[in-house]
Amino acid sequence: MSYITGPEYVRYACTCGLLKSLPNLYFCRHCSQLRCGFCVCPEVDSIFCGKCSENIPSAEAKVKKNKCANCLICPSCQQDLSTRIASKGVVNPDDSKSPAKKTYYLSCYFCGWNSRDVGIPDQTSPTGGWPERENVHSNRLQELLDSYKQIMLSQKQQKENDKKKKFGKFVSYTDRTGITASALRKRIGIPDIPHAMLRKPKLPESSTATTEVEELPDKFFTQEIDLLEVTTIEQRLLQPESQPVTVDKLFPAHKQLSIKKSLRCRHCERNVSKPEYNPNSIKFKIQLFAYYHIPEVRLVKVGDLKRGQPCEIIIKFTNPTQHQTTITILNLDLAEQERYVEEQQMMDISENLEVLSLQFKQPTSLPSLPGSQPSSLLSLPPRQPHLTIKSRKIKQTVNSTVEIPQSVFILPPRDDAAEYDDSNDTHNIEDDSNLVIWRKSNKVCIKLLVNIHEGETIGEEVFCGFTMDHVYTNIIAANFENKQPQKLNHKVRIFLNLGKM
Amino acid sequence: MSRNNIKIFSGALVCEGSKLRGDITVGSGTIIHPSATVIAEAGPIVIGENCLIEEQAKIIHRVPFDQQNKENIPILMIGVHNVFEVDCTVEASKIGNNNVFEPKCFVGSRVTVTNGCTIGAGCHITEEQILNENISICGAKCQMREGLDKPAPQNLQMETLLKMLPNYHYIKKPNMKQQV
Amino acid sequence: MELGDVIYNKTEYVETASGNKVSRQTILSGSQNIILQGKVIVQSEAIIRGDLANVKTGRYCVISKEAVLRPPYKKFSKGVAFFPLSIGDHVFIGEKTLINAAQIGNYVHIGKNCIIVMVFNMRKDLENLEEFLKASSYDSINHLSPIKTLFLKYVMYWELCYMVYILVQGRRAILRDCCVIEDNTVLAPETVVPPFTRYGGSPGIQIGELPECQADLMIDYTRSYYQHFLPSKSA
Repeated sequence: MSYITGPEYVRYACTCGLLKSLPNLYFCRHCSQLRCGFCVCPEVDSIFCGKCSENIPSAEAKVKKNKCANCLICPSCQQDLSTRIASKGVVNPDDSKSPAKKTYYLSCYFCGWNSRDVGIPDQTSPTGGWPERENVHSNRLQELLDSYKQIMLSQKQQKENDKKKKFGKFVSYTDRTGITASALRKRIGIPDIPHAMLRKPKLPESSTATTEVEELPDKFFTQEIDLLEVTTIEQRLLQPESQPVTVDKLFPAHKQLSIKKSLRCRHCERNVSKPEYNPNSIKFKIQLFAYYHIPEVRLVKVGDLKRGQPCEIIIKFTNPTQHQTTITILNLDLAEQERYVEEQQMMDISENLEVLSLQFKQPTSLPSLPGSQPSSLLSLPPRQPHLTIKSRKIKQTVNSTVEIPQSVFILPPRDDAAEYDDSNDTHNIEDDSNLVIWRKSNKVCIKLLVNIHEGETIGEEVFCGFTMDHVYTNIIAANFENKQPQKLNHKVRIFLNLGKM
Repeated sequence: MSRNNIKIFSGALVCEGSKLRGDITVGSGTIIHPSATVIAEAGPIVIGENCLIEEQAKIIHRVPFDQQNKENIPILMIGVHNVFEVDCTVEASKIGNNNVFEPKCFVGSRVTVTNGCTIGAGCHITEEQILNENISICGAKCQMREGLDKPAPQNLQMETLLKMLPNYHYIKKPNMKQQV
Repeated sequence: MELGDVIYNKTEYVETASGNKVSRQTILSGSQNIILQGKVIVQSEAIIRGDLANVKTGRYCVISKEAVLRPPYKKFSKGVAFFPLSIGDHVFIGEKTLINAAQIGNYVHIGKNCIIVMVFNMRKDLENLEEFLKASSYDSINHLSPIKTLFLKYVMYWELCYMVYILVQGRRAILRDCCVIEDNTVLAPETVVPPFTRYGGSPGIQIGELPECQADLMIDYTRSYYQHFLPSKSA
């Protein structure tokens, strides 16, 4: 089972030309096309802490710099810290029955680091109030942040102002009467206050470079370093604001948050994957994974790979859908794909030219987005930049050819109950015994012959490929327009790595 | 060393199904889980009081490679309150008190372990060295750090085990009186 | 790649009515406390410590050679209690791996030679529970006859375990569903492995993501492993 551990022997060509294993592909039902991780647009669905498994609203996460407020990680080995109890005497020494006073400290179960090592005082509540280390540069950072915000604001207002000017010559009544607010002020004798948006944002003091550097203390040359005292690079980079050099300055850090993402097809902007909100749930609201829609191909047995004689391979097809399908093995026509890619490229170029010429005529028109079509620009609301992934040529070279069988075979629908059914029900399907060698519920094994090309040397990996044409039943159209399920022929190019010659 | 000479002091709990070979002394309060291995190949092994040796742990007293004659090999003394966790292999020449050998760690025969050390899970220590007190080693790179204190003893766990294990396992009878 | 057949010696394995295949060369201590839900394969020299606490596995689990399943313990002020170890459905545990965890979810793949140690630290609820037990019953039973005390303590011990078990179930499942632990990983105690993540290294950190259909891949993997685990024909 190579999906979980090993290398991928069977790869499918995505519509964009990349080769991926089946579990890493998606199938957009609306476009009826395969989509890989690059052809879908990820979106953050929810933010959660992997340790305490709590969802955190995105606004809060932003304020906390995408770190969990409650969970801390060890500064020494970056593992989760846990709270430990230390009993220290009793609350009231006179009363023998009073409960023991408990204090809490942080400790790492992996490397043994604990908060007492660096002198953090024990806390009285287990949940925290752990001291935060003040960032020494926080004032400067805040200053910079504020000034950038101001610049952004003023630029925004400038833009709006420019827009306003277009509508009419006069902005306000005073403009029409010829007396501006500032002129009025002058006339009455009050000092003029420049308008907020005209005010130049105050820039913070820029940092200055200096040529004078402190001399390196002699101790670096004379004293032997104690490796137990010095922090590692990982430990320093965990705390970029302080970058401790010695281990006694290590401080617990907050745990980084994780996200759940939903995926959207870049062509039709519909979701192909949407997880449930609960961080521990492994269920999905929308799951258009290719593994559930496209027949799975697996290598079962590869015969001796020798040049000059046909090699027999056995591959297994599994139908994951609830509908019967018919599979035809066709030639791997890479030329077709290349033609398609070239056509697309030509279309893109001509479109770009059109857009450019349009722009030339009307300089004020909307800026064109690279690769997008003008028609979609008009019809779609201006959401996010709509980047479509262009098809490319399939890079994999094939050094052997598959003898294409003449007959087709049927894959029955998946039946979950069949697992408990021991009877060998073959669905009374008449198979070409030269092709189909085994059949059980929704699985079929077929035999193919592969001829290795001339001129390949021993020890080289043998790749072969074919096009699988299967009948895909699209139920989405049926629900939508109350029609019969739509059936269409879908073609996928599949590449097999047969191992070394 | 085919002859087994095993001395178990009273109060120790040695499960039947543990593998003890050679001249071994087990101090009182020590627990040896089933399928733990103690082999005194080169010379005798003396295990102190209140040690915990879990399943698949291997304590081996080997003749060093560079020493051919089998004479003058000292006794392997293992101190008190040491914990040997699952599937650790310990061939150290000397082991002090209050050490923890975490699962699947390996300690070679040229290593001397003092007191309060923690050898982390999966760490391999083979170079000739003396581990200082309260050192803890962890991670894939065997990163060392010095702790303030020795690891907490497992007394409570051992108390529970002393009660529970006899319900499920045959126990080797102690053959020595309380240590003086 | 389709899984190849694994042929075993028919005399070595015992097959139960529910389809469990257990090697005779395993060490199953306290076998009355071990529950295998069916179609579970336990290979030779695996150790399951049912003597320490209950061990329960789901359906279609594979416990490979020399793997050790060992219930974890939790310290209380009055002693130590071992907690039940529960493993979900469709879980694969690689060779020589040590599992010392409280709970492992469904569809989990753990590679060879891993160490998974979990120490309990359930914070508030447990301390309250402990204190409650201490205050309400431990003191009040001390004046009873020794035998009764022993009995009550025994009952309370199980109650405690049970109550804590529920808390664990509700709050802190530790290896969540659908995760992969690569070979030679050392997971530190208290680590929570979220769904759809791949963990590796020592100490174990997240090194990748898993495809969204991981659950079905694991179902298929463990099922076909079981189907390809066949007795030798000659025996």
